[in-house]
Amino acid sequence: MKAYRSMVLVSNDPGSIQAGAQDVLTTLQQEIKAFGLEDEISVSTVSDVGRHDAVPMVVVYPEAVIYGPVTKQDVHYLVEEHLYKGRIASALQAPARELSGRIAWLQNRKGTLPAEQRIVLERAGLIDPDSLDDYLLHDGFVALGKALTEMTPADVIAELEKSGLRGRGGAGFPTGTKWKFVSRTNSPKKYVVCNADESEPGTFKDRLILEGDPFSIVEAMAIAAYAVGADEGIIYVRGEYTLAQERLKSAIQQARNYGLLGDHLFGTDFSFNMSVHAGAGAYICGEETALIESIEGKRGEPRARPPYPTTHGLWGKPTLVNNVETLANVPPILRHGAAWYRKFGTPSSPGTKVYTIMGNVNLTGLIEVPMGITLREVVSIYAKGMKPGSTFKLAQTGGSSGSIIPASLQDTPMDFDSFAKTGVSLGSGALLICDEETCVVDLAKVLLNFFRKESCGKCNPCRIGNQRAYEILTNISEGIGSLKDLDDLNMLSEYLYQLSNCGLGQTAGTPLRDTLQYFRAEVEAHIRLKVCPAGVCPMSGKKH
Amino acid sequence: MTTVTIDGKQIEVPEGTTVLRAAQMAGISIPTLCDHPELTPYGGCRLCLVEVEGARTMQPSCTLPVSPNMVVHTDTQKVRDARKFVLTLIFSERNHFCMYCQVSGGDCELQNAAYREGMTHWPLQPNWQPFAVDASHPYFVLDNNRCILCRRCVRACSELVGNHTLGFEERGARSFLVADLGVPMGESTCVACGTCLQVCPTGALIDRQSAYRGKETQVETTASVCAGCSVGCAMNVLTRDNHLVRIESNWEGPVNGGLLCEIGRFAQQMEEHERISTPLVRKNGSLKAATWQEALDVIASRVRPLSGANGVAALASTRLPVEALSAFKQIFADGLESDMVTSLEEGASTAAAFKLANEMGRPFEGKLGDLANADLVLVFDADVTKLHEVASFFFKRNLQAGTNLVVVDRNENELDRLGIPVKALRGSQAEMLEALTAAKSGQPLDIHEVKTGVPAGKLALVGELLRDAQNPVIVYGNVDGADLKSLLALAGTAKVLGVKGAANSFAGALLGLEKPFQLNGHQAVFVALGDDEPSQRLVKKLTGAPFLAVQASYASQLTAQADVVLPVQNWAEQDGHYVNLDGHIQAAHKAITVPEDVRSNAAALEDLAACLGITISGNWREQLCQRVSAAALEG
Amino acid sequence: MDVEMLEGQKVIEAVQRAVDHHGVKREELIPILSDVNRALGYIPRAAFEELSRLMKVPTSQLFSVASFYQMLSTRPVGQHVIRFCESAPCHVVGGRQVWQAVQDALNLRDGETSQDGKWTLTTVSCLGICGVGPVMMIDDDVYGNLKPSQIPEILARYADRS
Repeated sequence: MKAYRSMVLVSNDPGSIQAGAQDVLTTLQQEIKAFGLEDEISVSTVSDVGRHDAVPMVVVYPEAVIYGPVTKQDVHYLVEEHLYKGRIASALQAPARELSGRIAWLQNRKGTLPAEQRIVLERAGLIDPDSLDDYLLHDGFVALGKALTEMTPADVIAELEKSGLRGRGGAGFPTGTKWKFVSRTNSPKKYVVCNADESEPGTFKDRLILEGDPFSIVEAMAIAAYAVGADEGIIYVRGEYTLAQERLKSAIQQARNYGLLGDHLFGTDFSFNMSVHAGAGAYICGEETALIESIEGKRGEPRARPPYPTTHGLWGKPTLVNNVETLANVPPILRHGAAWYRKFGTPSSPGTKVYTIMGNVNLTGLIEVPMGITLREVVSIYAKGMKPGSTFKLAQTGGSSGSIIPASLQDTPMDFDSFAKTGVSLGSGALLICDEETCVVDLAKVLLNFFRKESCGKCNPCRIGNQRAYEILTNISEGIGSLKDLDDLNMLSEYLYQLSNCGLGQTAGTPLRDTLQYFRAEVEAHIRLKVCPAGVCPMSGKKH
Repeated sequence: MTTVTIDGKQIEVPEGTTVLRAAQMAGISIPTLCDHPELTPYGGCRLCLVEVEGARTMQPSCTLPVSPNMVVHTDTQKVRDARKFVLTLIFSERNHFCMYCQVSGGDCELQNAAYREGMTHWPLQPNWQPFAVDASHPYFVLDNNRCILCRRCVRACSELVGNHTLGFEERGARSFLVADLGVPMGESTCVACGTCLQVCPTGALIDRQSAYRGKETQVETTASVCAGCSVGCAMNVLTRDNHLVRIESNWEGPVNGGLLCEIGRFAQQMEEHERISTPLVRKNGSLKAATWQEALDVIASRVRPLSGANGVAALASTRLPVEALSAFKQIFADGLESDMVTSLEEGASTAAAFKLANEMGRPFEGKLGDLANADLVLVFDADVTKLHEVASFFFKRNLQAGTNLVVVDRNENELDRLGIPVKALRGSQAEMLEALTAAKSGQPLDIHEVKTGVPAGKLALVGELLRDAQNPVIVYGNVDGADLKSLLALAGTAKVLGVKGAANSFAGALLGLEKPFQLNGHQAVFVALGDDEPSQRLVKKLTGAPFLAVQASYASQLTAQADVVLPVQNWAEQDGHYVNLDGHIQAAHKAITVPEDVRSNAAALEDLAACLGITISGNWREQLCQRVSAAALEG
Repeated sequence: MDVEMLEGQKVIEAVQRAVDHHGVKREELIPILSDVNRALGYIPRAAFEELSRLMKVPTSQLFSVASFYQMLSTRPVGQHVIRFCESAPCHVVGGRQVWQAVQDALNLRDGETSQDGKWTLTTVSCLGICGVGPVMMIDDDVYGNLKPSQIPEILARYADRS
């Protein structure tokens, strides 16, 4: 195994790429070679660094010095000073500033942000995601080794059940129970599928796990396969996530070369192979049965359930489908034990949750915090408050199908059960924070536009209902709505839930329901007074 | 068995039964739209939603399997409201203004459901976009404005017919029914079997010929059998005021299971020739109307003296019902003891098979049903697309699920693109069979490549498929005696099925009507043509015959040169039985009544027999059993 | 060889490459369609027909699958394809104004291709980079934190690229 004395990461989020990160990376590699340092220093990229004011950024470990913005011309100087001579090139250092997200955490590893706790993102941004060596140096494959050599499949499931881990895809189903369902089926062929079709707008947590720590998912899937008795795994990755696909393919290949995938892992009878399957742009494929259909080369239309994938999944065989974040929790739980895991979060929702923060706040980005933190805490601590001059109006949690939360519910702890009590869904962990300039009719229109396009079209309530709701909202936004429209919207939202075939249709009415519950006066103003209080809607009086 | 409670009724049903079927068994009716008994449950329309105790949301009864002690409610206020809402949505999606629709007033399942649920108006404002009507297809019209996207047609086209012409474009609110790559129906790969028409619950797919000519409640339905080929598809003939409105398949059909092809559903309705409505007798060189008695007397007077070998030659169409064929055989072969009594197809498709069966002393052919379960179908010089097309549906629909298809045919075969085409460049059928036999037993194939021109690799692949198949079926067409033996040897345990000619080829063969036709000093010829069309070859052969009598439904070149013509009924007008290619005996019933002067084929022959003083027996079943059959008789 | 023949040859080659890479099993259909789409910009009729022949999958099914997925196109597209995110996270941080600026700059509406065949403008549900909204992609380039004023300059970068 090759050991480097130093590691350099170049940011490659969209903002960085736009600012020339690719040139910086290439030049950096050339310069390091020119100085003859290629055997001492590894170079890699890091995705979303959580701040966008000084991109592209170059981070040098182990000192964790952040440079930025770095231009192509700066690279020679940077390499000469820091990597060759060993002095910090202070002229290029990023402006000192309070940072959010990953870099904030990196700089405050001793923990000045009290509630942050990285479990699933423990390595993301810290290791070279393309290096199995690096992963192994950071406790990689320890959990798999432990599972295979010290635990029976039943032990693994028992540990998971003890940990209380619940699915992070949105529904919060107990993960250990799901594994038990699959393990109990009597079939010579079973599959483990990782749902990496993260298409919920506002959610990009899985992408960061896949791009930053792909081996953790490979390891977790192998553990899952061992526990449920599967020998084949498929990661279904959203089509747009090309970097994640490449990282995973590379990770699988490296693991195979090391004998960490394939036959007789760790000298046991357990064999496991896996592959990456890319989607092609369909939100609905995040629904597990639609995802399975898509892997089989069909339209991503959800199947009727029952039967459930745990008994009749991919190619009709028992199939375990878990979300990326869920799986990423598995190796740490096995390494440290269920008791350790239960120290985080709340008794009914243990562990951490990764949130993506967007909207009209000072800092957008991503955090991993224990379950049970409140929305107010997220906005004030991590997002550094609302943007100057704006006040909190509402937040949408969990992406397009998530709940609309008014200011009055800001102090509800964000965990599965507390949210469920108030009728709110935690969903995928997306937090969209909106200020007073957001019009609820306009927002609902945008959301329903999403659903009418992303519905698969198979069942009537979802295919027709979302279209009708979108048209009604459009009318209201044009100032030609009627009060009957509100009854129709309520009816649509209720029946979408009651009658739809899958989770997409069932939850599509959620934001509609919440809007009418918490912001009815504002919607009525559009109808009765022909006024959009936020000044957003066209109110043209014309049919669209 | 699983016990469930539906609307308070406790019933026991087999495990895996859906709630919908369980309810139907208990006599409880649940409205449906996307469900169709012949198709895989889909769960799209949501009209069949029910309340299941303990379930979070309402459940579609069409896809939900029963589970032990399940308690279901199908008629609560909540369920009724939900159904109404589903209908509200459907009516709001596209143009469902009923008044101009062909199926309005009883034939539309959507409209019927709306009446049933007491819908009085459209609570949601419709906002539909108009779509152009696709009238490019010769037999039907696709009106997407009436489509409710239930996909019955798509599923029927794939699951039943295996033609996969219909599909879905886009998704969500933009979902749209399309053919192939979005081409007009008339330019698509559609084979015009019409199954989609029959399953469409609304007026989205309608039959051109019968549009606006009668609703289900206004037509009479008569069970019949298609006389188009030897498959023997059961069908229903729909008539109104003694006029044929349309033909629909019969889902209970023992042979075809509800499928028809273009010929069966559409082509038979085309009457292209002038109808013969009265007996005709040649007087002074031209055909003149006559009475039946006159006409029969003329025939009898010419034929009676010709008893014996080279007297009268007789030919019958194998489209005729068994009753007629049997009477025909009794008159000419038994009564007049003629040496030339045969069918129009002269045994071309049956002689070899029956000869072999008689040598073997037992039937050796399989059943059409075997095709539906086959994991390998080898088509050997047989046409199962232009004719016998329904037979091809039975395996085409299984190709995607892994059934292998090998097409051995020197000529272009429409099945080539669906399977592995094996085209001999040289050599005979015998050499091809030798090659396949060698391939199956894993022998060296180089010499066979030379003899047949088929690459050894391809032969080896086919050989492997033949070896490995669990339920192989070989469908053969024109194969003569010696080669048929080789084919049977090649088959081994594989099922063998021969396509025959017309609807009653098989009966013709059982009655021994399969001699090659030749005039050899015969003084008179009698042709029982029925509603068949005479071939040019026959017309030529019979030109100059000393005396020609024809019983026919339509005017043709043959009737034009006849001395006597007897007017007879066509397939839709007479009762009768047909024996299909695998030995199924099925009854067809008279659907249309014709004037008395036009008699059934059997009656015409019986009258002739009486006139000739020949006694004939009506026990045709007994006569069918006098020869060893190529396939076991059934029904 | 005339132009149309060349096109045909190009299509067959693109299909063949995709099939060589992935094989003809049904589960490889979406990756194959993605490859063809990437190579040709969209999936033309000839590609469906060739794929149908090679994979023994009916064209109706290929078409049904291809038209279902947003990243696959069954219609010709312009030289450059702009995919603009219209989801809520991008919308609430000024997406609408940027979208208007893009439409104005190109004089195109959602789903349209410019007459000169240079641009295709389309909205998409989400590109998965919501932290830097409003977001759009031009071909394979991602642009985030967009402001209406930046649009003319960004579009100009593609002025002489083909």
